[in-house]
Amino acid sequence: MLGEFEYLLITAAAGLGDKAYGAAIRKEIEESTGRKCSIGALYTTIDRLETKGLLKTWMSDATPQRGGRAKRMVQVTPEGVLAAKSFYDAVIRVSRGASWVANRSGSSL
Amino acid sequence: MTSTGWSFVEVAAYLLEHDEREAVLGDLVEAGESAWQGLWGVLGLVARRQLVDWKSWRPWLASFGLALPGSLLLMGFSVSVSQTYQRLIHPTVFKATGLTIGPGFTLLLCNVLLLIGWSWTGGFVMGSVSRRTVRVSAVLSFLPCVFCLARFRVESLSRFCLLLFMFPAVWGVRRGLQISQIRLRTALILAVAITLLTSPTWSSSGSWIPNWALSWPAWYLVATAWRGPADAKLDRSRTTT
Repeated sequence: MLGEFEYLLITAAAGLGDKAYGAAIRKEIEESTGRKCSIGALYTTIDRLETKGLLKTWMSDATPQRGGRAKRMVQVTPEGVLAAKSFYDAVIRVSRGASWVANRSGSSL
Repeated sequence: MTSTGWSFVEVAAYLLEHDEREAVLGDLVEAGESAWQGLWGVLGLVARRQLVDWKSWRPWLASFGLALPGSLLLMGFSVSVSQTYQRLIHPTVFKATGLTIGPGFTLLLCNVLLLIGWSWTGGFVMGSVSRRTVRVSAVLSFLPCVFCLARFRVESLSRFCLLLFMFPAVWGVRRGLQISQIRLRTALILAVAITLLTSPTWSSSGSWIPNWALSWPAWYLVATAWRGPADAKLDRSRTTT
């Protein structure tokens, strides 16, 4: 099962599609969660997910906008999609009875 | 970012591997972060990388099981070889006594070969067993050298005799970083040769500890070569990813 940050990263990368790379994923996570995302957390998690086979990364060509530095491009693998979907389903299932869920079933508070 | 602040970030980023350095510095430029934020981010990443690496037994073995004790023992052996050389074939001794090359020369040759063998295999294992922490291992092997260089008091010898082992050791580290293992036949020849070269000291009861402390890397190379390329590939991915 994925961790919370791993799920966020995979989802952000999947949403960005072929524009997914370190800075873009970081910006997406920060904007979505309203929390700071450190470079350390980002890249160590990318490595961990790549080792698990949930992501694939490669270096792109250098671009002048980034001071001539290359990007580390990220692509979610089919296994990554399955893992993220499994995490999402688990969150949905466990949230069914929670008071903050709009269309929850069962008794109200 | 100010250019001075950026310089600090770039220096800190040298602790990262090349591709990661490129990506991280590019991300920082793109995000328009301040120098301090960038420095903090890079150092945070370096710290996380080190923490992940040091969870394995490999860096501990390379640093505290090999680099630190190995450099201490090899410095002592380097001085011993230098003294043997000075005693046996120093030019002034030749001139004064008219000595010819005798059995002592064989002992010297054996010791030189042993010094090269121990240093090279030690360096190779240090380089191959944990690539990402090789800088820490290098610092740990240099620290005793600096300490001993500062306190070396043998007048007839240059203090740089302490560092004789460094040349084959650095060569070994470089090879270890390039390839994770050597062929079984080569490893076996090296290990057997090193073990045989230590045979003159087998009768001495106190020398087996330093002998084996310096010889185990050669047998470790045999073991890794024996396990085959698949395992080496796996080990390589563990130590480089």
